[in-house]
Amino acid sequence: MTERGFLDVAMQSAHAFRAIMQAVARPGRVLELGSDLEAPDPLLSSAAAVALTLCDFQTPIWLAPELRNENVIHYLRFHAGAPVTDEPGKAQFLFAMAGETWPAPALLMQGTHEYPDRSATLVIQVAGFAPGDVVLSGPGILSSEPFGVAGLNTSFWAAMVENHARFPIGIDVIFAAPGLVAALPRATEIRLLESV
Amino acid sequence: MNAPAYNFAYLNEQTKRMIRRAILKAIAVPGYQVPFASREMPMPYGWGTGGVQVTAAVLTPEDTLKVIDQGADDTTNAVSIRKFFVKTAGVATTERTEEASVIQTRHRIPEAPLTEEQILVFQVPIPEPLRFLEPRETETRTMHALEEYGVMHVKLYEDIAQYGEIATTYAYPAKVADRYVFDPSPIPKFDNPKLDNCPALQLFGAGREKRIYAVPPYTKVKSLDFEDHPFEVQSWSEPCALCGSCHSFLDEIVMDDKGTRMFVCSDSDFCARQRGER
Ligand SMILES: [Zn+2]
Repeated sequence: MTERGFLDVAMQSAHAFRAIMQAVARPGRVLELGSDLEAPDPLLSSAAAVALTLCDFQTPIWLAPELRNENVIHYLRFHAGAPVTDEPGKAQFLFAMAGETWPAPALLMQGTHEYPDRSATLVIQVAGFAPGDVVLSGPGILSSEPFGVAGLNTSFWAAMVENHARFPIGIDVIFAAPGLVAALPRATEIRLLESV
Repeated sequence: MNAPAYNFAYLNEQTKRMIRRAILKAIAVPGYQVPFASREMPMPYGWGTGGVQVTAAVLTPEDTLKVIDQGADDTTNAVSIRKFFVKTAGVATTERTEEASVIQTRHRIPEAPLTEEQILVFQVPIPEPLRFLEPRETETRTMHALEEYGVMHVKLYEDIAQYGEIATTYAYPAKVADRYVFDPSPIPKFDNPKLDNCPALQLFGAGREKRIYAVPPYTKVKSLDFEDHPFEVQSWSEPCALCGSCHSFLDEIVMDDKGTRMFVCSDSDFCARQRGER
């Protein structure tokens, strides 16, 4: 059996997109992302909402091994029509879980200096958010925004600092927690706090 | 699956997804023009089909939409776009800037300060600020890639040499977040300072040219200038003849067939509020 997607695709995706867009526009701010869909384990419904709102036959998806099972693959193919690829470097959207296997951002589609938009979006499922890891600043942030994600370590943040250094090329990250979304686009400056 | 009787906000879901992906990349790379597969809309290109497509992709049924054309809510263009979204998205509409959650605009930024809760969507005819200096897209793309904006400075400096000041008064180029030079659409340069560090998300849609770009909230937008010729906005020697405001953008209008002229606010909602009519 395939879990159902959005009951009302147009309404649910409009609401989900508004939350995702505001999250990308205001890096580090945690916003509500509710939806009426059901997601196959271990895909969170918020991550599934991101997939069904943004992905389709034009956007190859890569799934981390922990998320890659028959149900999830079938769900994404059935509801989004999105092809699932084994090659992270060819995926436009990648779904991973905090603390588990995730590809190094430098190996993903970075875009080019002529077309920086042709870059990957990494969606990371997380348990929750707690400020304390980093302080964010840059476009979308009035002065600075304390931010932190459960289950992500120093090496992740170091990789994201490098990602920002490559601007305007680079990847963008969306964090999906139960009922919540936050984002870290490449333009955001990241300052690591000592305690990480 | 139930097929809906109509497409919410006119566009089908696949088109909205494509536009939504472009919007997210536009926000992630502030000021960079993201190509998108612009669709035919049931209105001519000059009517802001790029802005309409961006608005369609971001609207939710709970939104309150304001549409302005040169500052006015009651032009044919503004009225027809407003009606279009009432019919296709069922949204509420308003003429009051502070009541709107989404504002689609042609050629102005409202005088009333915008908030974090608002989204401003600009209709853009020509998205490429370097177009008039270099018509070849491959060349302008390379110039943006290399951050090679010398020709733009040369053009502005030639203005100063010729006219004693920078002659550009509309679509005045600015640099976004210290990286991309962009065209803020044909707003008067009077509005350029409002782009800077604005709490609202600003999205730009060019339909015929198939480009979407963005200025995220609280982002630095610096109008190009020179140390010895700093950027200046237009000013008027008299206040608005209707409301007396000394700090709004004024249009010169002809009052009668004798050619009597006066200056009044271009932002009709702002002017009405100043007069205490709203
Ligand atoms: Zn006035």
